[in-house]
Amino acid sequence: MTEQELLFALRNGDEPAFKELVIRFQDKVFNTALGLLQQHTEAEDIAQEVFIQVYRSIKQFKGDSLLSTWIYRITVTKSLDHLRSKKRKKRFGFLISLVGNDNRPVYEPEDFNHPGVQQENKENASLLFKMIDQLPENQRTAFILNKVEELSYREIAGILNTTESAVDSLLQRAKLNLRKKLNELPP
Amino acid sequence: MENNSNKKVEKIMESLAGLHKAGAPDFFYTRLLARMQKETGPDKRSFFLLRPAFITAALSIVFIINIFSLTQLNKQTTTKATVHTNKSATIESFAKAYDMNTESVYE
Repeated sequence: MTEQELLFALRNGDEPAFKELVIRFQDKVFNTALGLLQQHTEAEDIAQEVFIQVYRSIKQFKGDSLLSTWIYRITVTKSLDHLRSKKRKKRFGFLISLVGNDNRPVYEPEDFNHPGVQQENKENASLLFKMIDQLPENQRTAFILNKVEELSYREIAGILNTTESAVDSLLQRAKLNLRKKLNELPP
Repeated sequence: MENNSNKKVEKIMESLAGLHKAGAPDFFYTRLLARMQKETGPDKRSFFLLRPAFITAALSIVFIINIFSLTQLNKQTTTKATVHTNKSATIESFAKAYDMNTESVYE
């Protein structure tokens, strides 16, 4: 089934077409969400939300970009929104812990291990993901799409609605910041 | 020393090389469908309208409004009647005081 045929069927509410879309894109969506969120359960949850959003708004998709670009864009937006809301909750939780006499320990997430990392690189990759988590949103997104999802500069530019040179600049700055943060770590 | 540190940083930076993409968990589509059916099921927001607590509260409010309107209406009728009586009494006394009673002409 070509992309146009798939789109036509989806707009007519065809369930097998929706299944075909999910099967075609589920790994891309999950892998991107996992790279950005660094948490398996949350990544699955966001991946589900992405497909629900696609199902609901497929009629509004005008076909200005590739279907994959549109789906990646929804994935990135949903993942970043989730991260922002998580940060807000964390800040609120910290304030509550300051005001209240609740002695519960502050939740610290475990080190993230991407399942696709080679065994000998696991420790280093976990440290790198920790540093990626501290990057500004746009640098983090560009880095994950390039290094984890292996997308080209052109594809990333389409997803982030920017130019290829801007993507190059984002990646250079991301690498520079990561090196700086890694150098600041105690030996 | 610095060279070693740089080597270590570069090794960390290269740790994602040869990374295999993570695949969606098993039964992803089944779980997605279940969630979609749950979300598009009967609207939970309208259920509270059928709860006995809500019905009792709504009926009580309607009853209180009714009682309040009735008492206000009764009060208004009594006041109007008093005003009307007072008004006619004042006109009569005014006419009497200035000898404007027209009845006297025909008497």
